[in-house]
Amino acid sequence: MATETSTTTDSRGIVERLRASPFLSELLSNRLAIIGLSLILGMVLLGVYARLFIDLGAISQSQLAAHPNKAPPGWLGSAALDQFLFGTDAAARDIFKRVLYGAWLALKFGVLVVGASTVLGISLGIIAAYYGDVVDNVVMRTMDVFLAFPSLLLALALVAIFGAGLSKVVIALTLVYTPRFARVVRGAALKVLEDEYIDATVALGARDPRVLVRHVLPNCLAPITVQSTLNFGLAIIDLAALSFLGFGAQAGTPSWGLMLKNGVSNGLLTGDWWLSFFPGLFLAITVLGFNLLGDGMRDALDPRMRETVE
Amino acid sequence: MVSKRFIAKRLLLLVPVLFGVATVVFAILHLAPGDPARVILGQRAPTQQVVQLRRELGLNDPIWVQYGRFLADTAQLDFGQSYQIAKGSPVWNVLADRLPVTIELAIYGQITAILLGIPLGVLSAVKQDSLTDHVTRIGALTGISVPIFWSGPLVLLVFATFLGWLPTSGRIGSTFFLEDHWVLFGTQLPLTGMVSIDTFILDTGAFVQSILYGEGLGAFASLTEYYASFISAVQHLFLPVLTLGIYSMALLSRMMRSSMLEVIRQDYIRTARAKGQGERITILKHGLRNALIPVITVIGIQFGTLLGGAVLTETVFGIGGIGQLLVAAIGATDYPLVQGTVLVFALLFTLVNLGVDVTYSYLDPRIQQ
Repeated sequence: MATETSTTTDSRGIVERLRASPFLSELLSNRLAIIGLSLILGMVLLGVYARLFIDLGAISQSQLAAHPNKAPPGWLGSAALDQFLFGTDAAARDIFKRVLYGAWLALKFGVLVVGASTVLGISLGIIAAYYGDVVDNVVMRTMDVFLAFPSLLLALALVAIFGAGLSKVVIALTLVYTPRFARVVRGAALKVLEDEYIDATVALGARDPRVLVRHVLPNCLAPITVQSTLNFGLAIIDLAALSFLGFGAQAGTPSWGLMLKNGVSNGLLTGDWWLSFFPGLFLAITVLGFNLLGDGMRDALDPRMRETVE
Repeated sequence: MVSKRFIAKRLLLLVPVLFGVATVVFAILHLAPGDPARVILGQRAPTQQVVQLRRELGLNDPIWVQYGRFLADTAQLDFGQSYQIAKGSPVWNVLADRLPVTIELAIYGQITAILLGIPLGVLSAVKQDSLTDHVTRIGALTGISVPIFWSGPLVLLVFATFLGWLPTSGRIGSTFFLEDHWVLFGTQLPLTGMVSIDTFILDTGAFVQSILYGEGLGAFASLTEYYASFISAVQHLFLPVLTLGIYSMALLSRMMRSSMLEVIRQDYIRTARAKGQGERITILKHGLRNALIPVITVIGIQFGTLLGGAVLTETVFGIGGIGQLLVAAIGATDYPLVQGTVLVFALLFTLVNLGVDVTYSYLDPRIQQ
């Protein structure tokens, strides 16, 4: 298995180590994965740029004259509206600025959800695999219960408990995604635990936490990374979906899901397509990026895993 | 053959899961903020009334008594009464009204996904690394990256708003009335609640009646008039089903491709080819049958995604199924309705997966060991 372990006192340079890793060389030779990575990096740059430099401040009365509401994208003809690349929404806000800012929000909250559920899933999965028996059963059967709900519906049920709002949605989605990670990590950890070096470490007197953190975890990292990448796309969709249904971002937040919700309620029947088109386009491109990269990683890791990792 | 023992074992495994599901659903009401009695009576109700209602609802009992009662009620499909959305009516009645709507959408969506996704996956695998393969793969990858709440509005804008070919929302044209029963030889018979099936039954009834007692065979000339409500129902279903189906189709075709690729490298395929079997039969009879087996499991897992998609699709297209009901119930803090809806969704998902497991064990008896 082509995993990078940071545990050795390896003195080789990082470049050499990366080149020696069949996983990375395989991944870097996959054109689609590179495209995916570029899409993600591009979106990160846009998001960071928006966070630092875009001012979403309220529109003053004097500006409102130059800011008509539901103005079509400027390049569609009317020269007066050149400044609005993606048009304006029902509240006369510049959709281009908001869509860029949405990238920041999507990535930030996506990182929170995937990060938190990865950490939780790793802990639960490794503990279940290492201690086995009762612990394993209790942990994994609990995970099974969560997996018995369709994911978006579990998220909605949890939102009913926690209430609406982006931070609560993050908690709900973290609980929804944790079981998936726990399952993958448990499977990987069980395989690692069979290896002899684990026995050797235990024989040398290592305590449980050391065995788990220094030896089991690093050797499970590859499948975890693949799982995180593939779930990142799903998490971003689910975050947007909950905002779309009205339980995530609060009114006025430039989140893609909320912009789509506004697009549906304000633009569908009147044909103001740009209200929905641009936020959704950016959302889809971001998710595509993660799917391309995740697919490439999975193939590079082990072509035989195609069916097992969802 | 599927052994009875396998099914019994599989059913037994369901018990703890369903127990856990019911517990989570129970927790919704008890962890959610706010006093249910307050929610029902409104913020301005006198405390006296609230206290009394709390007693009536049994909210003062110890939590384990309430839990026991909840389990007993739930086992009898008694989810209590709706607080807000359909104030006072039993949750089960509300659900029974709306459930067929969602099931109809989900079934057609799933059929679309299977009918398109499987052939595409097979084609892609058989022509591996050809242009067809690349287009299909990238198309499928794009398909799973496009959220339903974007593709839905887009198809609506194109086909309904701009081209005007199809209706924008609802289940049937406003000039039609959705009957809840039909009459055959003077007997009232119940309908399914699925608009495409119901209108088909009713329209066919009227049409046959006209042939027998009215216009005679001349009725064929005005066939579209007799089937007007059915046609309207199909037109209303078309875009939602397409939106829901495409996403699942993309998922399925990806799975089908990788499964098929694995199978066509097997020895028995080489044997079939070596004995001079035609390529078509080799692929369809020996390849497809074996490649389908793992894909069937995926169909089960992916049914959950489909149900989640149904919630979004119903919201975009204004279809009043249990998905839209759930969203409305959460918004209105109508907890019994939320509980009932979530439980029904979880049950649907679990049962479909049970069915899938049984089918799987039928197709691949080795799994039963």
